Amino acid sequence: MSRLELKNITKKFDNKIILDNINLVVEEGEMVSLLGPSGCGKTTTLKIITGLIYPDNGDVLLNNKSVLAVPVEKRETVIVFQDYLLFPHMTVEENIGFGLKMAKVDKKVRDKKVKEMINLVRLNGHEKKYPRELSGGQKQRVALARAIAVEPKVLLLDEPFSNLDGRLRENMREFVCELQKQLKITTILVTHDREEALMTSDKVAVMLEGKIRQFGSPEEIYKKPATKDVADFFGEKNYIKGTIENNIFKSRIGNFKTTFNKFSKGKAMIRPEEIEIFSKDVDTGLLGKIKKKKFAGDRMYYNILINDVEIKCITKFNKNYNVGDMVSVKIDFNDAVFFKEE
Amino acid sequence: MKKMKKRSLFFTVIMYSIIFLLLFPLVILFVWSFTKNWPWPNIVPKAFGLRAIKYVFSPTSKSLKTLLFSVWLSSVVTIITLFISIPAAKALGLYKFKGKRLFKLLILAPIIVPPVAVSMGIHVTFIRLGLANTFLGVVLMHIIPCIPYGVRILTNVFEIIGESMEMQARVLGANPYKTFFYITLPMISPGLVSAGSLIFIVSFSQYFTTFLIGGGKIVTFFMLMFPYIQSGDRMMASVYSLIFILTSLVLFVVIEKTVKAYYKAENYFYI
Repeated sequence: MSRLELKNITKKFDNKIILDNINLVVEEGEMVSLLGPSGCGKTTTLKIITGLIYPDNGDVLLNNKSVLAVPVEKRETVIVFQDYLLFPHMTVEENIGFGLKMAKVDKKVRDKKVKEMINLVRLNGHEKKYPRELSGGQKQRVALARAIAVEPKVLLLDEPFSNLDGRLRENMREFVCELQKQLKITTILVTHDREEALMTSDKVAVMLEGKIRQFGSPEEIYKKPATKDVADFFGEKNYIKGTIENNIFKSRIGNFKTTFNKFSKGKAMIRPEEIEIFSKDVDTGLLGKIKKKKFAGDRMYYNILINDVEIKCITKFNKNYNVGDMVSVKIDFNDAVFFKEE
Repeated sequence: MKKMKKRSLFFTVIMYSIIFLLLFPLVILFVWSFTKNWPWPNIVPKAFGLRAIKYVFSPTSKSLKTLLFSVWLSSVVTIITLFISIPAAKALGLYKFKGKRLFKLLILAPIIVPPVAVSMGIHVTFIRLGLANTFLGVVLMHIIPCIPYGVRILTNVFEIIGESMEMQARVLGANPYKTFFYITLPMISPGLVSAGSLIFIVSFSQYFTTFLIGGGKIVTFFMLMFPYIQSGDRMMASVYSLIFILTSLVLFVVIEKTVKAYYKAENYFYI
């Protein structure tokens, strides 16, 4: 259990900047998600933390002490890789006990700990099996148990659920979360799945093109994205240009009340799911014409034209209008996030 | 359905033809071994006898002693070559560096360049170093044509298994040595068996280089059988050939079974 800090980490490969001045603090027992699209440097960050890769610049601190000089095997930071990487020539037991064996833990103590781990990840009865005899979820649990068995200072999970599908994925996610809370291991979860990051973590670090763009609680990240890039990473958004004066937001689609008044010219970001539409008999003071419509099971996607401005809107599946229909639109600009015009 | 059946019949015929073509010469060798005389144009031998077998197994011919010595020599060559090949193959298979493709090509040089040309020069050097006519000299000479086989096969193996398992072992607390012995070695063991078998055969059937560097003092099994093949004593040549083939075969089977049992390596990867 430890506090991890990354300070100004920079890494280049073949003169291409992979990590650009990464700063990150993970408090003791916290679960932090590194969220970003593939190829943004998330896995490289994990490898630098463990020492598999050496940074060009910057420092890795564990409990406020630099660990850059500590070799990989002594850092006590364990990665669980995406494809589990169970040792194929070892049984489940031997896999889980591998780290303890390397640490020269006494055989009796080791056996006890392995048993404990097998109970913890609910793999009783599979002790003597080889990895090729296990299902995806079971492999995942072995990989997890193997990492936890050595009681690492920091546990690093590299896209741990991306090889699992549907229900299994949700179950494993929940299982890992519970385990992390129970054992209070400082954990970093690398993922490209927004929902996964928001649901599982105490804090989320959004990483784009080798930089951490925003670091904060899941709610903060979602509700108050620091930049357009971060906002866009969480799905398509509406941006409405306009000016703000005396708590009034003036734009091509009309004037609206808002509490925001930090700058005068900018863009208001409205999430499609926050826009409500009603039949035109309901008076909202804003009329629009349906331009496009898509059915997605539990939701409907509409594109609505208001004064030639196209607005995206997501509603429940039971709000059914046809293309060309006029509808009343309700937008609450108090929920909007404003970005200054660049 | 019908097409499938037809096809499988076709492949069965091909398969058995190939097996027949490979095994039939062995049958002829076997028959020759027990022949007294077999003049042309008889289809079967005129008379059977045990002259060749009696000679080969008699202590005066020193055949078995030479065979054991030969197996020992080739085993030493195999082990040393594998030791050299593993790091080279790992570098070629996993690391990025300048001139990698050139090195990959250069590794094959001993197969491309005629061994006669090389061994003549090496002989002169070995005489100066006092390595000519010695066991060590012959071992060193054999390693040269063996290296390409070892490095090429293991390079492919390393390319297949990659570096990720080693990384996983490292973060779990294994230092580089332990990682090698607990993870890398078992992972490449099937490749080691394939490479080792080839290396053994190459060394076991060296004639010219052994003759030159060993100067007649180092006598291998192949050198013992060569004069009989050359002079046309087919009974003797057949017996020697059969022993030659059986020795390698038995050795490979034993090694493969041992490695499999030791590492419980069962079809998790093969080349």
